[in-house]
Amino acid sequence: MREIVLPGTAISDQRISAENTYFDGAKTRSEVVGLYDSAHNEVIQLEGRWKPRPGDVVVGIVERVGRNGVYGISLTEAVDGLLIQDKYDNARFAVGDVIEAEIRDVEHKRLAVLERPKLLRAGSLMQIKAVRVPRLIGKANTMITQIIELTGCNIIVGRNGLVWMRGSNVAAATAAVLTVEREAHTSGLTERIKSMLEKINGNESRT
Amino acid sequence: MGSSLNKPELIVNGKRLDGRDFGELRPIKIEAGVLKNADGSAYLEWGNNKILAAVYGPREATPKHLADPGKAIIKCRYQMAPFSSLGEHNRTGPNRRATEISKVIREVFENVVITSDFPGSEIDIFIEILQGDGGTRAAGLTAASVALANAGIKMKDLVYAVSAGRIGDHVTLDFDMIEDNYSDADMPMAIAPRNNELLLLQMDGGLTIEQFDEAVKMAIGAGKTISALQRDALKRVYETKVSQ
Repeated sequence: MREIVLPGTAISDQRISAENTYFDGAKTRSEVVGLYDSAHNEVIQLEGRWKPRPGDVVVGIVERVGRNGVYGISLTEAVDGLLIQDKYDNARFAVGDVIEAEIRDVEHKRLAVLERPKLLRAGSLMQIKAVRVPRLIGKANTMITQIIELTGCNIIVGRNGLVWMRGSNVAAATAAVLTVEREAHTSGLTERIKSMLEKINGNESRT
Repeated sequence: MGSSLNKPELIVNGKRLDGRDFGELRPIKIEAGVLKNADGSAYLEWGNNKILAAVYGPREATPKHLADPGKAIIKCRYQMAPFSSLGEHNRTGPNRRATEISKVIREVFENVVITSDFPGSEIDIFIEILQGDGGTRAAGLTAASVALANAGIKMKDLVYAVSAGRIGDHVTLDFDMIEDNYSDADMPMAIAPRNNELLLLQMDGGLTIEQFDEAVKMAIGAGKTISALQRDALKRVYETKVSQ
């Protein structure tokens, strides 16, 4: 059972350790507007900024090119990315390139050191609320796999909220992504997205 | 401002001028998420007060020397629109009163916002009074609190504010403009509902200790209504949106 919790809402009369909560004496309270999942004891944030963590896959734009394979990457307003390439890595990027990378380390909570960069050629880029990204990916990637399969697009979702996509059916994929972002707090979303995309596909094959 | 020489009768037949009881709030309406470009926003109507609050951030702190490497800083701007009331505020830009209110509101939120997650950044709170009719600092603070939650800023609690005071011998809640001008004491308070902690307490005029206690009790009682309205506004954002 999921319910909406607000800052200060008591989640438990005991101290339980969960994300986005704090201890208030013997109680545990929510810090954010979110969904409380009592089965898994977690508060899922519905609004707010992304907090970088090592291991997150992000999509960023090359902002600054330094010497010897050092790049400044723009991720979000509050978090910058820094990419220092391996000396054996010959790939070079230019200002404005869109890349996919993984976070190796986070320094002072606002500088993400990136590794394993991959250039994303052409395609289009969109931004969604970063807190809704887990829903877009889905449990065990179900949601995003479904969108990729039904639209035939190549989609890469960055934890920072940037979504890159390329393919012939970008319009349908964009609509699906925006629907997920808008309705992230509702249940039965995977099914609705499926029927929505099947409807779009059906319309196209008829014309 | 009022003077004791031309003071109007504020209590007629045991009721206040607008027909309220001593402990009665004006009607309040709150809506969250009204501005698309802001990270969080709220629109509030409190009697004749009409207030828009917007929150941006956490974003890079400017100017840079203000940035704190250990936590996010909070900035607050309270401002009355030039058309918000009769006379007095018809010039734009900050004045002494707006600067003071901005400061006290900022200090309230510094007590509840959890700032350690975004060091070096700032959280901007804008409170714009579109129409003012007494008690705007309390109403503005209540709106800003909803806007902060709507922006996903981590907070310990959803603060509300209300003013109480005294007309003659009567302890009275939530003054409008005319009562504000001619009352004998006015005391705006901001309260954290989880433990009734007082986060803002200002007083104009005088109260006895008993009257003070009664005023605080009255504010906490009214707070239940205000808190419920704040929570409803935030939950309503997620109610309707399902496609098909």
